[in-house]
Amino acid sequence: MVKVQVKWQGKKFDVDVDLTQPGEVFKMQLYSLTNVAPERQRILVKGGQLKDNTVMSTLGLKENSVLMMMGTVGELPKAPVEQTKFVEDMTDNEVAQALAIPAGLTNLGNTCYMNATLQCLKAVPELKQALDAYEGAAPETSAADNSKRSLVLSLRSLFTQLNESGEGVPPMVFLHVLRQLFPKFAEQDRQSGGFRQQDAEECWNELLTTLDLALQPSDGAAPSVVERYMSGQMQTTWSTAEAPSEPPTVHHERFRKLDCHIDKSVNYLSQGVAKGLEQKIEKHSESLGRNAEYTAVSRVARLPEYLTVAYNRFFWKASESVEAKIVKSVKFPLDLDVSEFCTPELQRKMRPVKQHVRDLEDRRAAERKAAAKRPRIDGSNDDAQASTSASSEQQTEEAAAPFVLDPELKADVGCNPSGLYELVGLVTHIGRTANSGHYIGWVRKEKGVGGKEPEGKGVPETRHWWYKFDDDDVSMVTDEEILRLCGGGDWHTAYVTLYRAKKLD
Amino acid sequence: MVEKKSTPPASNDVLNPKTAAEKLTKNKAKDEQDELSEEDQQLVSELEMIVERLKESSVDIHRAALENLNNVIRSTTGSMTSVPKPLKYLKAHYETLSELYDQWMDEANKRALASILSLLGMAYDREGKRDCLKYRLLAGIDDESISEWGHEYVRHLAMEVGEEYALKLEEDSDNTEYLVETALKVVSFCMKHNAEADAVDLLEELDRHELIADYVTKETFERVCLYMISCAPLLAPPSDMGFLETARKIYRKFGKPSQSLPLSIRLGRQELIKEDWDSCSSRLEKAQLAFIMARQQIHMPELIEDYEDEQLVACMNNTKLSKNYLNLARDLELLDPKSPEDIYKSHLENTTVEVTLDSARHNLASTFVNAFVNAGYGTDKLMTTSTEGKDWIFKNKDKGMLSAAASLGMIMLWDVDMGLTQIDKYMYSDDDTVKAGAILAIGMLTSSVYDDADAAKALLTEYIADENSQAIIKLAAISGIGIAYAGTNREDIIETLMPIISDTDVTIDLSSIAALSAGLVCIGSGNSDVSSVILQAMMERLDSELNHKYARFMALGLGLLYLGTQDKYDAILETLKAITHPIGKQSSILMQVCAYAGTGNVLEIQKLLHICAEHLGEKEDQLPQAFAVLGVGLISMGESIGSEMSLRTFDHLMQYGEPYVRRTVPLAMAIVCASNPLVGVLDTLNKFSHDNDKAVATSAIFSMGVVGAGTNNARLAQLLRQLATYYHKDPDMLFTVRIAQGLLHMGKGTMTVNPYHHDRTLLSHTALAGLLIPIVAMINAEKLIMTDSHFLLYYLVRAMYPRFLITLDENLESVSANVRVGQAVDAVGQVGRPKTITGFQSHDTPVLLAHSERAEIGTEKYIPLTTVLEGFVILTKNPEYEEEDESK
Repeated sequence: MVKVQVKWQGKKFDVDVDLTQPGEVFKMQLYSLTNVAPERQRILVKGGQLKDNTVMSTLGLKENSVLMMMGTVGELPKAPVEQTKFVEDMTDNEVAQALAIPAGLTNLGNTCYMNATLQCLKAVPELKQALDAYEGAAPETSAADNSKRSLVLSLRSLFTQLNESGEGVPPMVFLHVLRQLFPKFAEQDRQSGGFRQQDAEECWNELLTTLDLALQPSDGAAPSVVERYMSGQMQTTWSTAEAPSEPPTVHHERFRKLDCHIDKSVNYLSQGVAKGLEQKIEKHSESLGRNAEYTAVSRVARLPEYLTVAYNRFFWKASESVEAKIVKSVKFPLDLDVSEFCTPELQRKMRPVKQHVRDLEDRRAAERKAAAKRPRIDGSNDDAQASTSASSEQQTEEAAAPFVLDPELKADVGCNPSGLYELVGLVTHIGRTANSGHYIGWVRKEKGVGGKEPEGKGVPETRHWWYKFDDDDVSMVTDEEILRLCGGGDWHTAYVTLYRAKKLD
Repeated sequence: MVEKKSTPPASNDVLNPKTAAEKLTKNKAKDEQDELSEEDQQLVSELEMIVERLKESSVDIHRAALENLNNVIRSTTGSMTSVPKPLKYLKAHYETLSELYDQWMDEANKRALASILSLLGMAYDREGKRDCLKYRLLAGIDDESISEWGHEYVRHLAMEVGEEYALKLEEDSDNTEYLVETALKVVSFCMKHNAEADAVDLLEELDRHELIADYVTKETFERVCLYMISCAPLLAPPSDMGFLETARKIYRKFGKPSQSLPLSIRLGRQELIKEDWDSCSSRLEKAQLAFIMARQQIHMPELIEDYEDEQLVACMNNTKLSKNYLNLARDLELLDPKSPEDIYKSHLENTTVEVTLDSARHNLASTFVNAFVNAGYGTDKLMTTSTEGKDWIFKNKDKGMLSAAASLGMIMLWDVDMGLTQIDKYMYSDDDTVKAGAILAIGMLTSSVYDDADAAKALLTEYIADENSQAIIKLAAISGIGIAYAGTNREDIIETLMPIISDTDVTIDLSSIAALSAGLVCIGSGNSDVSSVILQAMMERLDSELNHKYARFMALGLGLLYLGTQDKYDAILETLKAITHPIGKQSSILMQVCAYAGTGNVLEIQKLLHICAEHLGEKEDQLPQAFAVLGVGLISMGESIGSEMSLRTFDHLMQYGEPYVRRTVPLAMAIVCASNPLVGVLDTLNKFSHDNDKAVATSAIFSMGVVGAGTNNARLAQLLRQLATYYHKDPDMLFTVRIAQGLLHMGKGTMTVNPYHHDRTLLSHTALAGLLIPIVAMINAEKLIMTDSHFLLYYLVRAMYPRFLITLDENLESVSANVRVGQAVDAVGQVGRPKTITGFQSHDTPVLLAHSERAEIGTEKYIPLTTVLEGFVILTKNPEYEEEDESK
C-alpha cells in the first residue's frame, strides 16, 4: 500500500494504492471519490497515461507522489442540432432575406430618379394590391392603352420580383416601357451619349397619372386606387377685394399632391404649403367688366390616405438655361397635421377623430415610458410586448366608446378622417439641378414587419427605422438621419415626401 | 566605447599634452619675440642652469640637478589651459637631455632622467616614437613611479601601450609581455583612481580583459562589470563573449550568483548555470535563480533532483505563476472577464448600424480577442462562464472551431489543473476539428510551466504516433507539443517528432509543422540530428510539395535551431546551397537571421540590406527578401542605438522597396518594438495602415497590435477604433483590426510579448520564437492567417508573460513592499553612484512595469536577492533596519 495524491480540478485527493492491482481498480477508487466515470478518466503519470491493465507497482510510485487526473463529470457538450448559418456561406440573396432588408433596384445608367420613386410608391400597399388584382383591358384596344397596360404589368412583375429577391433587381423591362410611354425620359446626353438624369417628381406625377387611368375599373363605376387613396379634393374660392359684392366663385378639383413653395420666409413645410394654397391672379371680372386682382384660396375638402407633398425646389434659371435648385432648409415633421388647410366643414368633421388619435398617441407614449422603466429581462421580452399590446387594446376599447366617426367620412374609403399624417417615404435629391445629381428613396420600416431591427449596445435610439434605397445598396437609418434631409446644404434634400394617414386604432 | 572617457579628476595633473604641443608650435615664433616677464626670465635661466649642470660630468651634481628639476616641474603649476611653464621652456632642451641620457652611465641618475624624459616625451613626441613609453620602460615601472606625473600622464602612457601592442601584433612579435606588465601597472593605478573604464579599455586593447578580475575590489566590481557587460554587444566576437565571461567571473568572485546567472544564460552554457546554482549559499538564493531561469524559460530539473524541497521545485517549475498572476489581477481589480465588445467599444465607432447575422469572420475575431484579453485569467464570457458558452465553439466555422476550442488553452493559461478540466470535455468531441482544438489547447496550457505529470506529453504523443488519427488532429498535436516543450531540448519529444519530419509519405504540412516544433524544442541548440533530418526532408520532398504554404515553417524550424548561435551554421549553409528549390535560399536567409538575432551585428545587417535592395524579376521567389527585412529588425532589436537606426532604415525600405519588402517592413518594426508603443512608431504604422497595398495595410495593423501588445495604450486604442470605422466594410481588414485590438488589451493590459527581460538584457529564445512564428505567417496573411491557419497566432502564447514585479518574503509568500518605478537611465561609465531611474513614482508591490521602466526598492526594510527588480523577487529582511517608532 502506498499513499498517493491525485490532483483533480484544483483539489487533491489522498488515495491508498494497492500496488498489486491493475490500473482499473485504481480508477474505480477515483470514481468513488470524484464521480468521474472510469472510462472518462485520464490519469497522467510522468509523461504517460495509466492504462487499465497496467499493474500499479510498475509505475514506481512513492509515498505522496502526485498524480494528475483529467476528466469531467456529466454530459459532454454536444454540437447544436441546428447548425449556425454564417453570412459567409450565404448568397447576397439569402443574407438579405435573413435580414429581411428589401431588395434595391439596380441603376441602369442615370435611372436613380425612377428607382427612388418606385421604392416610395411601393410603400403604398393598396397600390400593390391593385396591381395584383389588375386584369387589364383586352389587348385589342388602342396603342396608347396597350402601352399603359404593359406599364402596369411590368410594374406589377417588378414589385413581385422585388419582394422575392434579396439582391438588386434591374428594372430593365419597366424602364423600357416607361421610356416608350414617355419619350422625354429617354432623352440622351449629346456629349456622352448616355441617358440623362430626369426629374423624379415628374416621374412620380407621370406614373401616378398613368396608373390612375390604367387602374380605373373598366366599367368606370368606382374610382381608381390612385384616385381613392392618393388623391384629394381641393376647394378653391376666387374672390376679389375690388368687387366685394361679387359672389366668390368656387371650384372643386382633384389633387394628387400639395406643393410646398419655397421662398425666403419659408422655414417649415406648413408655411410652404400655405403659400401654395393662396394665389393672387389678375383675371377678368364679369361684374367690373375689367381685369381685377383676384385671390384664390384653396382649401382641402377631402384628404387622401396617402398625401404627397412636393417641394418646389427647382426653378428655371434662364441665364444658364438649367433648372436650378433652391437649397434652403425646409424642415418637415415626421408627424404632420394638415387640418389648417382644410375647409371649415371638413375640420369640424375631423375634430373628434383628431382628438381620438391624439389621446391614443399620448397613451402609447406613456406606456412606452413605463416599459422603458421596467427592467428588461432577456427572453421574457416577447411576453412583455404581448402583454403591453394586450393592455393597450383594452384601453383602446375603453376609449373608443365615446368617439363617433362621421358617417360621411366613414363611407369614404381611402380618405384620412383625422387630418393627421405620418411620414412614410421620401425621395431626396443631391446636386444642383434636377437633371443632375443623385436621387435616393427612403421608406419607413414598420415595427415588427420584415427583419430584425438593430439592437444591442451602441445602437442609437430611434422610434422608427428607415430603409435607405440608394439604388441597389439598401441600408437602415434612424429618424435622426431622416430629419437631416431637410436641406440647407449640399446633402440629400427632401424633394417629394409621402405622408400616410395615422391609424385610428 | 573603447575610446577614452572624459577626465575624472586627478589631483596632480601636470598638463594636457595635446593642447600643450599645439600651443607650443603655434606660439613658438611669437614667444621668441615676446618679451618674457621677469619671473619667466628667472625660470628660463634656472632651467638653463640645471641643464648646464646636467651637462657637466659629475654624477653627484647630476643627482642634485635632477632633484632640482623635479621640484621645479612639480612646483610650477599653471592653470589647466596654459602650458606649465617648465615644460614649455624645456622644449629647447629635450634633444639635449635625451642625448645626455645616452651618454650617462650612472643607473640611478639615468632612471631619474628617464622618468623626466618620459614626461617630456608625452609632450614632444617625435612622430610616433612613443618616447613616453620608451623612457618609462627605461625608468622602470613600479606603482609609485607610474603615478608620479599624474593621471593625464598615465592615460597617455596607456595609449602608447595600446599603440605599441597593435604594432607588435602586426609584426607578429610575441614579445609583448613587457607591455602587459606596464599595462597592469596602469590598470592598477586606474582602478585606484576611479577610472575603471580606462583600465578595461586598455586590457581589451591587449586582449587580456580576463586579467581585470585580479584588480577589482568590493567597491569597484559593480562598476567594472556594468561597463564590461554594456561593452559586450559592441565588440567583435569572440571578445564579446569573453567580456561576459570575465564579468561573470568577477561576480562569482564576489559571490553574486543572481548576477552571474544572467551572464551564464547569455553565454548559453548549461554547465555555467549549474556552477552558479551550486555556488548559491542559501536556499532562497537558489529560489531566486530558479525564478530567473523560469522567466527565461530554461528548465533544468536535474538541478533539484536531490532536493525534497517542494517550494524550490515549484519555483523551478514555475507552477506558482498562475496563482501569482491572479493575485496581481485581484490587486488591480481585473478579475471580471471582458467580452470582445468591451474591447471593440463599437458604440464609439462611427459606422452606420447594420443588423448582424452570425458572421464566421466576426466570430472568429471575437474568439481570438476573447482569448488574448482573458489570457491566464481562467474566466471569460464566451468559452467558460457564459450560459451559452458551450455553443460558442459552434458559432465558428471550419478551422474556426479549432481556434475556438484552442482558445481555452489561452484562457486557462498556466493553470494546468483547472485547465485540463475545462479542456477535457472537448477531448471527446465527435467533431475532429473541435478535438484538434482541445489538443492544441493542452499544448498552450502547459507552456512555461512544468509538471511532474508531464501532461502535454502524456496526452499528445498518442495522437502523433497513432497512424489512424486524422490529419488535423495530428497537426494540432504536433504544434501543441512544440508549444509545450519549447526550449526544453527533450530527447523524448524530439524522437516523436523526427519520424514525422523525415517520412516523405506524411503530407508536407504535417512535416513542416513537425520541423517547426522540433526547432522550438531544440531552440538555439544547433542540434545536428534535427538539422540533418530537416535538411534531408527538404532534399527529398518534391518541388510541388515545397511550394506548399507551410513549407516555410520547415525553413523556420531550421532557423530556430540556430537561434542566437552566431556563426555555427556554415556547414548547413553549404548543404542548403545544394537545394535548388527556393526553400533553400529561404532557409539560408532565415538561418543567418536567426543566428544573429539580438546581436546587433552591423555587418550582418548590411548583408541583409543588400538583399533587400535587389530588384527581383517577377518569377523570383520573394520570401527571402521578406525574411531579410525581418532579419534587420531581429538582429538590431538587441540594443537601443541599433534599433533606432533600423527604424530609420525601414523608412527607406518602405519608400523604395519591392512589394514584399514593403509588406514586411511593418512586421519588422513590430519585432523591434514589441510591447513598446513608441509614439513615432505608432504614427508610422498608422500611416502604413492606410496604404493602397492591402497586404501592407494588413501587416501594419497587425504590427500596431504587437507594438501595443498588453499595454492598453489609449492612443493606440483610439487609432484602432478609427481603423475599425475606416475598414468596416472590408471583412479581412476588420478581422485584422479586431486581432490588433485583442493584442493591445492582452491580459487586460498586464502582459508583454517583448522577448527581452531582466532589465532588457536577457533575450528569451522561446519568447522570440513565439513572436516570430505569427509574424512570419503574417507575411502571407492572405494565405495563412486570413484563411485556415489562424491558429498560428496562438504561438504568441510563448511570448506572452506578465510584466509584473512581485515581491516574496523568506517563505516565498507574496509580500507588499514599497518600490520606486521610473524610466530606466543608462548609468554605464558614470562616476559615483548615479541614479538609475528618473521620474519615478512610489508604489507598493505587486506592480506593473512598462517597457524601459525600472524598479528599485524604496524601503530600507528589505534587501532584494537580485539587483534587477522584475518578475519574482525575493526579499530578505534587513537586519540593520529599525522600525520607526510610531509613538514619536
